[in-house]
Amino acid sequence: MNILTKHITIKNEELTLTNQRAIYWKREDALILSDIHIGKTAHFRRHGIPVPDAILLKDLARLKSLIGYFKVNRLLIVGDLFHAESNVDVQTFKKWLAQFEGIKLILIKGNHDRLSKSLMDDFNIQIETELIIEPFTFIHEYSEERHDAFIISGHTHPGVLLKGKGKQRLKLPCYQVTNDGLILPAFSLFTGLNTRTKKSGIISYAFLESGIYKFTE
Amino acid sequence: MNFKESEGLRIINNWMAEKGQAPFPFQLQTWQRYANGYSGMVIAPTGFGKTFSVFLAVVIDYLNHPEKYPKGLKLLWISPLRSLAKDLAKAITEAVDDIGLDWSVQVRNGDTPTSVRRKQERLMPDVLLTTPETMHLLFSQKKNSRWFKNVECVAIDEWHELLGNKRGVLTELAISQLRHHAPRLRIWGITATIGNLEEAKNVLLPYQDLKVIHIIAKQKKKLDIISVLPDEIEVLPWAGHLGAKMVDKILPIIASNTTTLIFTNTRGQAELWYQLLLSAQPDLAGLLAIHHGSIDKKLRNWIEDNIASGYLKAVVCTSSLDLGVDFKPVDCVIQIGSVKGIARFMQRAGRSGHSPFERSKIYFVPTHSLELVEISALKEAIRENQIESRDPMVLTFDVLVQFMVTLAVGEGFDSQELLYRIQKTHAFHYITEEDWQWCLNFITKGGKTLNSYEEFHKVVLDEDGKYKVKSRRISMLHRMNIGAIVSDVNLKVKYFSGGYIGMIEEFFVSKLKPGDSFILAGRVLELVQIKDMTVLVRRSKAKKAVSPSWLGGRLPLTSHLSHFLRLKLSDALEPGRFEKELRFLNPLVSRQEKHSHIPKANEFLVESIKTRDGYHLFMYPFEGRLVHEVFSALIAYRISKLKPLTFTIAMNDYGFELLSDQPIPVNEENITELLSKERLMDDVIASINASEMASRKFRDIAVIAGLVVQSQPGTRKNNKSLQSSSGLIFRVLEDYEPDNLLLRQAYTEVFNQQLEEVRLQSAFERISKSNIILKRAESFTPLSFPLKVDSLRGTMSNENLDKRIQRIKEQAFKID
Repeated sequence: MNILTKHITIKNEELTLTNQRAIYWKREDALILSDIHIGKTAHFRRHGIPVPDAILLKDLARLKSLIGYFKVNRLLIVGDLFHAESNVDVQTFKKWLAQFEGIKLILIKGNHDRLSKSLMDDFNIQIETELIIEPFTFIHEYSEERHDAFIISGHTHPGVLLKGKGKQRLKLPCYQVTNDGLILPAFSLFTGLNTRTKKSGIISYAFLESGIYKFTE
Repeated sequence: MNFKESEGLRIINNWMAEKGQAPFPFQLQTWQRYANGYSGMVIAPTGFGKTFSVFLAVVIDYLNHPEKYPKGLKLLWISPLRSLAKDLAKAITEAVDDIGLDWSVQVRNGDTPTSVRRKQERLMPDVLLTTPETMHLLFSQKKNSRWFKNVECVAIDEWHELLGNKRGVLTELAISQLRHHAPRLRIWGITATIGNLEEAKNVLLPYQDLKVIHIIAKQKKKLDIISVLPDEIEVLPWAGHLGAKMVDKILPIIASNTTTLIFTNTRGQAELWYQLLLSAQPDLAGLLAIHHGSIDKKLRNWIEDNIASGYLKAVVCTSSLDLGVDFKPVDCVIQIGSVKGIARFMQRAGRSGHSPFERSKIYFVPTHSLELVEISALKEAIRENQIESRDPMVLTFDVLVQFMVTLAVGEGFDSQELLYRIQKTHAFHYITEEDWQWCLNFITKGGKTLNSYEEFHKVVLDEDGKYKVKSRRISMLHRMNIGAIVSDVNLKVKYFSGGYIGMIEEFFVSKLKPGDSFILAGRVLELVQIKDMTVLVRRSKAKKAVSPSWLGGRLPLTSHLSHFLRLKLSDALEPGRFEKELRFLNPLVSRQEKHSHIPKANEFLVESIKTRDGYHLFMYPFEGRLVHEVFSALIAYRISKLKPLTFTIAMNDYGFELLSDQPIPVNEENITELLSKERLMDDVIASINASEMASRKFRDIAVIAGLVVQSQPGTRKNNKSLQSSSGLIFRVLEDYEPDNLLLRQAYTEVFNQQLEEVRLQSAFERISKSNIILKRAESFTPLSFPLKVDSLRGTMSNENLDKRIQRIKEQAFKID
């Protein structure tokens, strides 16, 4: 795995975008990420749709590398840590988590995070519906109505559609930045991309294994 | 007992005589063969009583031997269209009542209310009319075999419509399953004429133990083909251009006939022509209707009823009315634009003048002048009775795993016994033991890689040795997904105040913003919002609105028709005395000959033109859009090996264009090499993105095999937590299980259908034997102009298009 970074400054704060679907926030010693959807592959299998759990293992391996690379002690998860019910994937995650001592997980609850409170407690996760760490507000789903804050969110699985000559089309995952918010790409590789957006004035940071590219609308 | 003197035949003959009819010889023949225990296939044109050939055969046999027919289901009637079933049931019920039988005749398909279905499950009717999908749904019911034990005959109506696609494979499997329950079953197919009748019969009736006959009606449908010529000839034709000018030619045709069906090729065109006709003659309002697959079912039913009653004067439609109920009042058909195939053209023509001794009448309205060559080609092909084949599909593993789960949801299956049966069908004759094991693994363990997953137990091996589905939720999900028709993601369109209008593709809606106007079902609508897979709209007063495009609209030219097209074009310089289309085209043909060349049957034309836009290379294989897509990529690839170049590619059914901003290094010396048939498929694979094409093909496969759960339009409950795209699953499988059979199938389908490997090979074979003519033209020629305009359309908005075309035309004329 190849970790590439790009520094951006928002509200005088330096954030480090990576091509591995997570942001490093140096001031807080934290990784910011969203939409890990743990349990999704097992959920599919339970309903008769065969999907290998190697996808989850790969996601977790990436996360482990990122934690090691930036030496963070906090994970700020902007929602949809879990996909559905408690299942074997969730157990796999629990075992995997045990290897990190002293790392703190903060989950801003997403629409998928419907595990019971006792299960969540079991993970020792701090759960919020909204979290303010100045100068940012962390919410799962971006909302226009909160024009006073700069919102860091997830939920939409943003992607950018590139059109080339000869009807070439290419979809890439990206970070979407506007003047009042930043939307994170989904961390899990087992997610689709949403290239539709209602907002204007978006700067997209798309990425591949080999690079991070900035697109201005 | 002698059949000719049997009581049953006497009753039927009397009944027909009372109505002033007598059986056609092919009907009599069918009845007799059926009585002697034969299975078979009946080939007859529409309107000659194909239905009664098979249906009455069963009735006569029953009248002669009532003791052989216990209570319950006797005849299963499988037809591809739901709408056919309703009217067929009516006709059959009438006949049954007249003859004095106490049979009940019922329909069962997706439209059948639950209460009726429950009633049927308690006591099946004597005759059941249904679809292949519903047959499979029946097999997924508990204890379903009791319904089929005493079935004497299964009839497959319009078999040619099923053969050649996955619904045909569903039908093959359904027959195999029925034979399992009722070993004495007689199987009868009914089909229109196609190019490969013998093969069609063998696919339907592969069983050695059957006595098989095929019966061809001698009756021929009389057909009048009339081409509608524009007032003046456009020497530089472009698709769709003639439209508005031809409206005045169409109105008198509508006026002088009782009821006219106006066929267009796409739903978008149908909407457009509906508007054109109405604005040219506003008093048609209420008498003119529009009918296509995206219009709400209720509205379509209303339209169909009112064609049948003769209330409507004309209906603009698409292939949605190709098949189906016979509309007695229809005495005229108008085809607008290329019809792309001979069989389709005859099918559409046959929608008029339906009773046996009437003539069918079809008007052909070209949308650009080159299409007149096509009508000339069609006439020739029909004269020579050359009709396309439908190639049956084989080894469609997606359909097979679906079928296996269907049986597992129903009564369960024994692995060896089922494999033995499957191998007797045409589709799976060549399945290997290894493939079969893979399929079993796929439904029990999720494929090879999922060996250790406890939570995956879609299908389990039960104590009685049968594979079964135990989970109710999986059963339910599976039943929702049965079938082989995978529709594009459609959204329902509904008035804000209530009332459905129709369906629209998601990709089209995604380009609209609230407040934008679009046209559907002939109405101008304003988008209000999108909610729960439903597009909410209100009536719009806007003058300008976009006409939706539907992705599935573009059909490629069949190879049969393109063969005749090449012949006709080569004749065009010296047309025969009666070929009025070619004579009319003379100015265009002469211009092409003067500035470039008209390719003879043994020639292949390449044109190179330099304009302000850059350097153009045109080639005209006349093999249809799909083949040209591959052909053009291949030539671009071969040229770029000579010199690295970037091309813009445009294509239509006749040829393709490569455009570059730098000179294209093609000359008399290297052109033969560029068009060589050597290393053909290697170069094709190197030139296309096969993985991306396969990923697109995988969409249908993933849905049919149950890897992707389809969300139902307009329903709130769309299994959100199970949503994923086939593209995502495709990538996952390529990464983690590259030898997955369903992936392999996607690639096979790309080669057979998308790349049309066989057709491409034979095209290059033909070209290798042709003289290659390379012409340098000063400006666009009649053949290249439509390509130029088509490619403009891709990159420019419609407003500027007219001006732009006008300018190009003026420039082109200057050399005169």
